[in-house]
Amino acid sequence: MTEKTLVGAAAGDDPTEGLRAVRALRDLADRLETLQVERARQLGWSWQDVADALGVSKQAVHKKHGRRI
Amino acid sequence: MFERFTKDARAAVQGAVEVAERERSESIDTRHLVVTLASGAGHVPAALEACGLRPDDVAALARDAVRRGEVLDAEALAAVGIDLDEVSRRADETFGSGALDRAARRGTRRRKHWPFTADARKALELSLREAIRLGDKGIDDRHLLLGVLRSDCPGGRLLEAALHDAGSDVAALRTAAEREARAA
Repeated sequence: MTEKTLVGAAAGDDPTEGLRAVRALRDLADRLETLQVERARQLGWSWQDVADALGVSKQAVHKKHGRRI
Repeated sequence: MFERFTKDARAAVQGAVEVAERERSESIDTRHLVVTLASGAGHVPAALEACGLRPDDVAALARDAVRRGEVLDAEALAAVGIDLDEVSRRADETFGSGALDRAARRGTRRRKHWPFTADARKALELSLREAIRLGDKGIDDRHLLLGVLRSDCPGGRLLEAALHDAGSDVAALRTAAEREARAA
């Protein structure tokens, strides 16, 4: 990956590439969130602890992860 | 465009939706389509066999790929300086082998409607063009296969790899599908 391509995509020179990168980042972040939240819960973290760490409300984190963990 | 689909082609697209439903996929991509094309009642299985592939094996391969979850866009991540291989490696260290794939599958939720991914829509569009190119009136499962093979998509890459392993290639499968199309 050359410097030019990297800057081009990150800076959103071409919206198609820029938005594609944003989507890929969100997808990756979602997966990491799933893994991290699951692990935190296994280690005994409360939903409130998890919510505080993610900077969201307890309700939000419970709604998103509560059912599968 | 869908009004030009034959019964086999409609069954393949409908089947892809059902595969997505069963596997709880977030969306429908060309891998779902490959599952139903390879296991359908159309002409694709014969074309696959002509290239030394067992249709059941291809369907199973595509189904496994669907189960592994949605594919992360490594190229787009690389463009913003993220090395997906490295992230994967570290995630495996902490969460066990294949963690990111697993997280995608668990992350899926029940849906009422499954959207087609952009590359799946592109493949469907290309199938129309293949039908026109071959002078065929309707779009059947062979044209769908040709559409998948012509677009840069997960289903096409999967077929390419399977063909390579069988000592064949995409060109041979295209020829076989076109021959099937002419014979019909």
